[in-house]
Amino acid sequence: MNALSTAVILLLVGSLACLAPLSNRVRAGIGVASQALATLLVWSAMAPVLFHGQILLGELAWAYPMGTLRLRLDALGAFFLAWSLPMTLLGAIYAVGYLRPFMDSKRHVGVHYALLNLTSLSFIVVYTAEHALVFLLGWEIAALAAWLLVIWDYTNQKVRFAGFNYLVSTHIGLIFLVAAFMILYAHSASWDLASFGQWLSSHPGAERNLVFLLLVTSFGLKSAFFPFHSWLPRAHAAAPAHVSALMSGVIHKAGLYALVRFVFLMGRPDEWMGWFLIAFCALSAVVGALYTVSQRDLKRLLGYSSTENVGIAGIGFGVGCLGLSWGQPALVALGFAGGLLHVLNHAFFKCQLFYAAGAVYQATHSVDLEHLGGLGRLMPWTALSFLLGGVAISALPPLNGFSSEFVIYSALFQHGVGVWAQVALCVVGALLAFVGAVSALSITRAFGVIFLGKPRDASVHAPTEVSRWMLLPMGVHAAGVVVLGVLPALGFMLVQGPADIALALLPRPSTGVLQTISDSLTRIGLVSGALAAVIALLLWLRSRARSAAVQPTWGCGYGAPNPRMQYTGASFSWDFTRRFRGVLVMLRRRKAPMGYFPSDAYVVTDCVDAVERRLFSVIGHGDASASAISSHWHEEDPRLAFAAALLFIVAVAALVVLSAGPLP
Amino acid sequence: MNLGLTLAHGLIVLAMPILMVGLVNRTKSLWAGRKGPGLLQSLWDLRRLLGKRPVYSDVATPLFRAGAWVGLASALLAALIAPIVGHFAPLQFEFDFIAFAYSIGLARIFLMLSAMDVGSSFEAMGAAREASFSAFVEPALFLLIGAACVATGQGSFADLVGQLQQTPVLLLPAVLVLFILLQAEAARVPVDDPATHLELTMVHEVMLLDHSGPELAAMQYTAALKMSLYAGLIAALLNPIAASAPLARIAAALALMCAVAVTLGCVESLVARLAMRSVPRYLMLASLLAALSLGAAGLLSGRV
Repeated sequence: MNALSTAVILLLVGSLACLAPLSNRVRAGIGVASQALATLLVWSAMAPVLFHGQILLGELAWAYPMGTLRLRLDALGAFFLAWSLPMTLLGAIYAVGYLRPFMDSKRHVGVHYALLNLTSLSFIVVYTAEHALVFLLGWEIAALAAWLLVIWDYTNQKVRFAGFNYLVSTHIGLIFLVAAFMILYAHSASWDLASFGQWLSSHPGAERNLVFLLLVTSFGLKSAFFPFHSWLPRAHAAAPAHVSALMSGVIHKAGLYALVRFVFLMGRPDEWMGWFLIAFCALSAVVGALYTVSQRDLKRLLGYSSTENVGIAGIGFGVGCLGLSWGQPALVALGFAGGLLHVLNHAFFKCQLFYAAGAVYQATHSVDLEHLGGLGRLMPWTALSFLLGGVAISALPPLNGFSSEFVIYSALFQHGVGVWAQVALCVVGALLAFVGAVSALSITRAFGVIFLGKPRDASVHAPTEVSRWMLLPMGVHAAGVVVLGVLPALGFMLVQGPADIALALLPRPSTGVLQTISDSLTRIGLVSGALAAVIALLLWLRSRARSAAVQPTWGCGYGAPNPRMQYTGASFSWDFTRRFRGVLVMLRRRKAPMGYFPSDAYVVTDCVDAVERRLFSVIGHGDASASAISSHWHEEDPRLAFAAALLFIVAVAALVVLSAGPLP
Repeated sequence: MNLGLTLAHGLIVLAMPILMVGLVNRTKSLWAGRKGPGLLQSLWDLRRLLGKRPVYSDVATPLFRAGAWVGLASALLAALIAPIVGHFAPLQFEFDFIAFAYSIGLARIFLMLSAMDVGSSFEAMGAAREASFSAFVEPALFLLIGAACVATGQGSFADLVGQLQQTPVLLLPAVLVLFILLQAEAARVPVDDPATHLELTMVHEVMLLDHSGPELAAMQYTAALKMSLYAGLIAALLNPIAASAPLARIAAALALMCAVAVTLGCVESLVARLAMRSVPRYLMLASLLAALSLGAAGLLSGRV
């Protein structure tokens, strides 16, 4: 615990020093250095917890109004800490390259680094909190820091709107969380998560169900599950690339952490909770994947794919939940280990993809698929990084996405459950396969349109490869993607601790389950490694062959092709998206060529978020009808409106009193 | 015993793509009243291509060349997992069918990427079609495997295919689903016409327009290999010989694969290719059939 508190103090001091009147470069250096030291400290503290099952306990004597603040780090928190801080560090390093244009300007870059430090700090607070209010404090630090990081480009009105959208959404989530905590506090008369757990595990019933739903809503908003995701594509498109990467890959994983934490606290969840989680998460995965197909903004696309991937991880947690309520150790271990492994893998490849997208943005000042093209030859390292991340996010071997989805699949196709449960889980498995194919489609589209072919638009700045500060984090993430793909047992070592906690919740001790998974992952790693080796061998053999002739691309007989004729992102996905018109709202503006000598003609398509559109239209309708009613009443008699409002308040108060009973 | 089976499996996997393409083409030419090319014609074609100096597009990146070989390697991995003779595969472990499906997915994504690498709108169009068709096909395989899982209680691909024979009700839908999958994955009529002459109407062939020499050979062999893998799965499902007589079983598997090739040839001669817009409906038919067999498997197994 001492190492952790030192890390917290270090991060605080670092963020204060970042604000000091120094040059921007020194501030960035201080930020990165304090992050690096804090990472080392956190690693030294969490390693025994994660690998030897120790539990770190700490207490802060705090008199009023909350009493003693307890801190507790177990394997679950240690797992999240193990990669959250280093990835934030990599983000800070990336920022050095990404914010380079501002380094010599008057803009205070130190604030940005101070906020990154606070983000790291919030991880330590959230993942070690045992006291609910401390948890909320960390939760709120993360939300506010993320909001301020998002609005880096605050002079742009769209960015401010995206930022406020995020801020409002995350606080709506907070309301649900606070509501759940208040119910729990009312019953357990303590702010400790452990006593929450005691009440939750011993009082199944309507109120526990309500708490569960409140928590899922709150964590769903935090991790951007469908239909609570509408803030996410906006925020990711508006934020600087490393902030999008950290939000998507690291910061919002706190929602999944909290979900797993509370499922563990429940001990033996009801069966419906598992099914509910599976359905909710499968819906997220499918809708998120469908939305990735039609986006023309690369960062929005990656944002939707976060919704998809938290859904996939959540399916694993849902299966684990079912395992807990049925007392099936295999399901528990596979579900939770697979979900957590996917969380880790997603952090690796999603940050990598966002970093590559940021490199594209910095080099070309655009992330619009329809304007980019042919970047692969100009930015080979960025292209390779995006390709690796893309293959990994489509869950293809030999990279890491495959290993975690393999574990989740093997949870879904598990035997020893009831027949119809097995049928239902197999259907979820088929949905997961659909999601995989769809994300392969969208990543092929994104990579192919942006990096392959010829530059599409002469007005786009011809790029060169980005600075080493940006390539380094990409390289580290790429290495992680490959290593975790070929040696998935390494990733499994990290999730073994949390899975052990889950297994300990079962009434009967179970041995050997984790070993089985570890063995099968090793086998998967061998297969992936062999595949990678064969590919490398074939490529090497081929590279020794004679040189080839180079000719223009075959234009199918057309002699004057031009780069604008290349297949665009919209045309690539049109065949698919038109079959999902109900889900994907496509806006289309066009002017068709008319007459024998047509003048200009164009077609512009874009995909807007159906949920957000619906939300705004509902708000709009509500607003219109409310103002209609009030103006009507106002004309009749103002006293009527007051009377109605009074009646309404009394009715609400009566309902509250009736449902909760008299106040104690 | 296992070594022998592995060797036999390897030989079948390597040789059948060539023979099957020959058989399909021979069947089609017989229907058309021609004599047609020899059964091993594609072998000579491949040999010729391998000896040629390739021509690359001036737009292509190194990915273009890599695509063909990544595809070949992943299809070979899939071939190690697919239980062609039934009840046996050289690479067999719990839930290996996921590795099978996803390594074919890897082959597909690299095929599409190397098509998009040359900046031709025709080739990107082919890639787009391939991508969206594959999304409609993908659930079918998993639903079918789910049905087999429920019906047999097994975990690995070889065991699933081997044991599914004991549930004859599921055999017919399974064979139909696999046949549709074959047509989609190997780009055969009615999903795609390998003999079409207009780039606008192609799916698979248009992606290979700019490939030449050894890369073209690898791509064509990969496509034929995928076809024989699915044919092999159908053969394994229908194989009437018990596992105790491996030689006869292998012979039966070969005969059945040839029969699948002849059936394919007949279908291609008698049926026109579907309009592009109705292909997804045809492919969803496979998913529907597979979902029905999953339901049937649920009804059949007595352990409610």
